Amino acid sequence: MADTNNQQQNSISDIVLNKIKSGGVKMRPKIYFVLKTILIIFGTAVLTLLILFLVSFIVFAMRASGTLFLPSFGVFGLRILFISLPWFLIFATVISVILMEILAKHFAIVYRRPIVYSILFIIILVLLGGIIIERTRFHPSLFWRSQEKRLPIMGGFYRDPSITRLQNVHRGIISEITSNGFLIKKPDNQMLTIIVTPDTQFLPGREIKEGEAVVVMGRREDDTVYAFGIRRIEDQFNMFMLEHRPPRPMR
Amino acid sequence: MREEVSQENDEKIAFLVQSGKVEVFSILIKRYEDKIKRYSRKFLSDKEDINDVVQNVFIKAYENIQSFDTKRKFSSWLYRIAHNELVNALKKKKKNPLLLFDLDIFFPQQFHADNSIEREIDRQDAKEIIDKCLDKLALKYREPIILYYFEELNYKEIADIMRIPISTVGIRIKRAKELMKFILKK
Repeated sequence: MADTNNQQQNSISDIVLNKIKSGGVKMRPKIYFVLKTILIIFGTAVLTLLILFLVSFIVFAMRASGTLFLPSFGVFGLRILFISLPWFLIFATVISVILMEILAKHFAIVYRRPIVYSILFIIILVLLGGIIIERTRFHPSLFWRSQEKRLPIMGGFYRDPSITRLQNVHRGIISEITSNGFLIKKPDNQMLTIIVTPDTQFLPGREIKEGEAVVVMGRREDDTVYAFGIRRIEDQFNMFMLEHRPPRPMR
Repeated sequence: MREEVSQENDEKIAFLVQSGKVEVFSILIKRYEDKIKRYSRKFLSDKEDINDVVQNVFIKAYENIQSFDTKRKFSSWLYRIAHNELVNALKKKKKNPLLLFDLDIFFPQQFHADNSIEREIDRQDAKEIIDKCLDKLALKYREPIILYYFEELNYKEIADIMRIPISTVGIRIKRAKELMKFILKK
């Protein structure tokens, strides 16, 4: 029995060594593993940047379309918000986070801890990073470059009308107060007549004046909007209005 | 040369293989062949399948030896390869291998060594008891308990081999012991 075991032992050892000696099995060079590690680190870094871009772009697009202000209009606003969320971008972000988690699992610091920790870390990192980036002029400047057709690859992405335009949600600057409402100038310089009824909800208060930026929620018929809710917004959210366009570089 | 080298530790021998002294790889095979075979036997019953797995483990170890960090433990690195080979073999056999997504790797879990169970299943008697209950244990409990009791690896090493959180290793070993206690009582 011991002899049989010995023979077996020798045979496995011999088979492996013979395969090595005959060249049937080759040792992969160190550079292969170095490149593999570099690729994983590079992939993780690219995915981090992509997720940061997507998150900041989602917030930017929601501000640009006025979606971000919808929850203040109550349940109806929340319903429109849910319908209008950029689901494709959110889905792309979730997939990127999963891919990033898979790549990060190659590192002991990640797999030795419960997945929920690394997922939470990624979510906090990208949310904070995304919001910080969104506060800069990064997206507005790319947005304007795309409008002027000076953004080759990403241009179409920013020119997509669904990004800044939303059904039943209109944003612009009040240009004139009328007897039954006011007129607004939209980011594309289009004028809309806003009709205010006794049921119209005003946030934060009913006092509005010319030059103020507003988001109006309501049904549109031609160039007239019957306002369900009106919300004043801060100037800093107005960076994509035409007059806020950054100056073109000198030639 | 081989006699001198055979006194060295695994990591030193692995370093020599990395440096081109291919012939000393046989020392590592000799040292681990029985252990890997014993480990495989806990998951596979067919002798040929076991031999295939063992052979593949050493072939993969040789192919990838340059990825081994000699500052770390060679045994953990080799068992990681064996774990992957066994998962592949079980997949081929269509036996439910270790699940990729298991809830116990998602959330942090508290585990404390249960002394009462520890007393009942004394480390000395553990191997015998585990052998009796092994077939009744799910694979996800079977592997950590084998690595802990038979291969005498610690939680961190088992976590590195199975690529699961350290707390999950503790929880799975604890549950495996509770299950074995239940099976023995029946």
